Amino acid sequence: MLKEALEAQNTAVFSAITASIQVQVEPVGRWFEAFLKRRIRNVSASFQELEEEEELSEEEEDEELQLEEYPLLKTLDPKDWKNQDHYAVLGLAHVRYKATQKQIKAAHKAMVLKHHPDKRKAAGEQIVKGDNDYFTCITKAIEILSDPVKRRAFDSVDPTFENAVPSKAEGKENFFEVFAPVFERNARWSTKKHVPKLGSMEASFEDVDNFYSFWYNFDSWREFSYLDEEEKEKAECRDERRWIEKQNRASRAQRKKEEMNRIRTLVDTAYSCDPRIKKFKEEEKARKESEKKARAEAKKKEQEEKERARQAELDAARLAREKEEEEAKQAAQLAKKEKDAQKKAIKKEKQKLRTTCKNCNYFVDSEAETVKMMEDVEKLCDRLELVRLQNLNEALASSNKEESRSAIEKQVQEVNAQIQREREAELKAHQSARSLDQASTGTGGGKGWNEEDLQLLIKAVNLFPAGTNARWEVIANYMNMHSSSGIKRTAKDVINKAKTLQKLDPHQKDEVNKKAFEKFKKEHAAVPPTVDNAVPSERFDVSDSTPWTTEEQKLLEQALKTYPVNTPERWDKIAAAVPGRSKKDCMKRYKVSTLSTLTLNKMYLKYLRSCLIVLCLR
Amino acid sequence: MAAIGVHFGYTCACVAVFKDGRADVVANDAGDRVTPAVVAYRDTEQIVGIAAKQGRIRNAANTVVKVKQILGRRYDDPEAKAHREESKCTIVNKGDLPLYELDTGETTKYVSPEEVAKLVFHKMKETAQSALGSDVKDAVITVPFEFGEMQKNALRKAAEGAGFNVLRLIHEPSAALLAYGVGQDSPTGKSHVLVYKLGGTSLSVTALEVNSGMYRVLATNTDHSIGGESFTHALAQHLAAEFKKLYKQDVSSNPRAMMKLMNSADMAKHSLSTLGSANCFVDSLYDGMDFDCNVSRARFELICSSLFNKSIQPIRVLLDRVNLSTSDINTVVLSGGSARIPKLQQMIKDLFTDVELLCSIPPDEVIPVGAAMQAGILVGKESLVLDEDSITVDCCGSDIMVKEVDESGADIFTVLFPSGTPLPARRQHTLQGPGSLASVCLELYQAKKPLAQIVLRDLPPKEDMHDIVTVVTMKRDGSLHVTCTEQCSGRSEAVTIAAAAAAS
Repeated sequence: MLKEALEAQNTAVFSAITASIQVQVEPVGRWFEAFLKRRIRNVSASFQELEEEEELSEEEEDEELQLEEYPLLKTLDPKDWKNQDHYAVLGLAHVRYKATQKQIKAAHKAMVLKHHPDKRKAAGEQIVKGDNDYFTCITKAIEILSDPVKRRAFDSVDPTFENAVPSKAEGKENFFEVFAPVFERNARWSTKKHVPKLGSMEASFEDVDNFYSFWYNFDSWREFSYLDEEEKEKAECRDERRWIEKQNRASRAQRKKEEMNRIRTLVDTAYSCDPRIKKFKEEEKARKESEKKARAEAKKKEQEEKERARQAELDAARLAREKEEEEAKQAAQLAKKEKDAQKKAIKKEKQKLRTTCKNCNYFVDSEAETVKMMEDVEKLCDRLELVRLQNLNEALASSNKEESRSAIEKQVQEVNAQIQREREAELKAHQSARSLDQASTGTGGGKGWNEEDLQLLIKAVNLFPAGTNARWEVIANYMNMHSSSGIKRTAKDVINKAKTLQKLDPHQKDEVNKKAFEKFKKEHAAVPPTVDNAVPSERFDVSDSTPWTTEEQKLLEQALKTYPVNTPERWDKIAAAVPGRSKKDCMKRYKVSTLSTLTLNKMYLKYLRSCLIVLCLR
Repeated sequence: MAAIGVHFGYTCACVAVFKDGRADVVANDAGDRVTPAVVAYRDTEQIVGIAAKQGRIRNAANTVVKVKQILGRRYDDPEAKAHREESKCTIVNKGDLPLYELDTGETTKYVSPEEVAKLVFHKMKETAQSALGSDVKDAVITVPFEFGEMQKNALRKAAEGAGFNVLRLIHEPSAALLAYGVGQDSPTGKSHVLVYKLGGTSLSVTALEVNSGMYRVLATNTDHSIGGESFTHALAQHLAAEFKKLYKQDVSSNPRAMMKLMNSADMAKHSLSTLGSANCFVDSLYDGMDFDCNVSRARFELICSSLFNKSIQPIRVLLDRVNLSTSDINTVVLSGGSARIPKLQQMIKDLFTDVELLCSIPPDEVIPVGAAMQAGILVGKESLVLDEDSITVDCCGSDIMVKEVDESGADIFTVLFPSGTPLPARRQHTLQGPGSLASVCLELYQAKKPLAQIVLRDLPPKEDMHDIVTVVTMKRDGSLHVTCTEQCSGRSEAVTIAAAAAAS
């Protein structure tokens, strides 16, 4: 029971309400699922109620439905039911595909009440017997329209539907007037509800984009089973039914493809004609161009900046170089001057020394000594530097003859000693260089490796391949055992050598191999000639060291004849008769030859016998 | 569309199928509607169910029981430790995870608890599929409220390993509520429900709030020390004492004899739930001596009276914790096999006078039936994938009330919009004022604090009452919109009350 409002009271809010709190709920029950769904779809409960109400009101609308009379109804041929307009038959020609099931039912009821043969008979009309009455058309119509599948099939080929697609020329003129109704018309085939509208010139880019992406991915429910030429139900056996099905499927697919093409053409045409698309494209182009321009400008600027910086750098470098050159030139000139001065001074000093020496008659008495002294002085002049020459000259000027001489001699000795030293040093350097050279090209390990050892090493390396247990020790042992040089080698030496060998260029390897071959040739030089001399007839001789010559053979045969079988010590005598052959050799030879003669005889006999047989047959 | 609900308990597992709008428990191949969650490992095979349970007397070391206690737990977990001490199987530590060491003939097998659970789930699946006659995989699995993330994952993995497609894991108390369809009739209204579950080894009491058809757990209390086995054990002890009295032989130290006695006591306990007395008979219990004893229900209740008290006690503790009195509870749901015991039901009834006690569905089948119902709701829907097993929703913080006067003239408060209502929500009420009045005033309060007032003036006088339709709408942020319309004249007033800065 509510209270009465006091005079002073008015509708008012006193304080804020406490904010909502968050609690955990159990994920069970249908209300939870409904709540979750609402939350995911982001709609409130009242919105859902509204939706439900909308559906309800739609159904209520059906009540006031005006049926349109179809004037041609009575002239319809029931046999041609496929080509009749079912909506028109039921008087729903003005609603068509928008008609609800309820409306269709109501319309059918009204039609039946009006056109049933019994009713008409009662009204005194003539009725055609059987199925030929036009009432059958009404029955067919309700049969088609009350079945959602059949109705969809009929709707798909609705005869009143305008399939035409406007051409480009039409669209260019006034795009929106031409295309808006076309798209609206085709929207009914969409499986999705809420088809985006074409919109107006002012539509945003998103809207237009959305519109075209929808139509390019248009999902149509239109299907063409109604146009099937054969009816599956008519088939008499399974095979026939299958064949019909196949035919139908093919024609349906073909039509569906055509339909998809039609939609595609429509959208393509619209897209190409759409002034908004043009506008957007231009805008985009302009934007891109301006961007490009800006970018190019920025780049240009940057380039210029860079160029300038580079120029400045170059200038600075050039200046610095010039300056340097100038300085270097001056320094060179200075150095040259100094050198010249020095040279001059040396020349002067030399001259001075020579004149002093000449004046003093080279501090010697005899002619021969004078010549030697002159040579010495010349040598001194050549080798002494400026300072020492000056010192020497001063010493010569200040002292008497004897002292001068000794001083000169001392200088000469020093110079000689220096020359000697230099020569020795040079020699030593030369020698060391040579030894170093030898060391680097030679053994590497310090111990000499001759050809034989090298070959031995290669052989050993091949003999004991990688993977052999303690391979290098084994190789070293093998080398030590077989080497003729007598140098004891360790595993390390062997490894080093093997490595250097590996590293050697192929040319050197070849050389080693060639040498090995030459050696082989040398060693086996004795054998081949005997092989060359061998007589073809004596090919039986295989292992014997020397083959039998014809002379020896003759001698042997002779001896065999002279010493018949029963001769005591026959083979000894035969051997004595054949020089250079032992008793054993002779016995062997005899056996082989008798064998060969025997076989020959046998073969000959055989041949004769065959000849005889041939003769007998003849 | 058929779907399966599975309850995997500590001692037993049970499966229900949802088909043709009904959820029903299906019996297993042995004809039992509840399958013991016992797995016996033999040389060549693994046995699940009653056969394994009966064979446990001879094969205790290779028979895994109560695997749920250790499922998804670390080796050092206290619960796992308790299980290790109790279990007759050898449990080894492998990378901090427990593994059963089972002797199967020549070789020793190491089996993880998940694999054992998988076998039980597989048995459940077979049972459901043989009843449905088709290969149905979609299932909802129940878990105790106190299960952690790891245990849930382990359970889910075991179920998926057995071939189930786990639609969702739901908590056992909410499944019990769903089985009775509590609050599912209409999306309005608010009530408090208590779910009492006394299983084989554990007792859990949960208080829930049902608001707008959605459940919210207020508090829960779990006691792992009491359950159906405690009663059986007490009864077995009694039987052992009887045997000793008769034959002067102590069997309590003989594990096999005790196990036989336990089995016998279990059977007796079950019959005592329906019968006045039960006969315990064990052939050659000890040393070739047979044992025969009659136990009456009164005797059983006497033996277990302290245990019964212990099982009722948590209810009070829980209600104290959530500040509710026994009269605030609108419904009590019984679940778990031991909730069949008549004495317990009586005690609960005594505790909650004139409260609806829901026990029409067999208590041990309540939870799987609820799970199957949830599976029926979920199956065939486009999958609403939930990341967590319970999600948070915005709710009204406290009751929105209107002040009215009763016949005697005293002020009373009527709740227009109860607290805990998931937002956004709209509630419609028809309030009445005396027809003689020319004006009415609605004073809105929240937690005894005046919130707003709405005044309707110039109402035409009427013979009967003024009907004032009040629509209360609350958005997700908590802001409230109230519209009052007088039916006859069509006069209306509306206020919008903004929410205070988000109270964290």
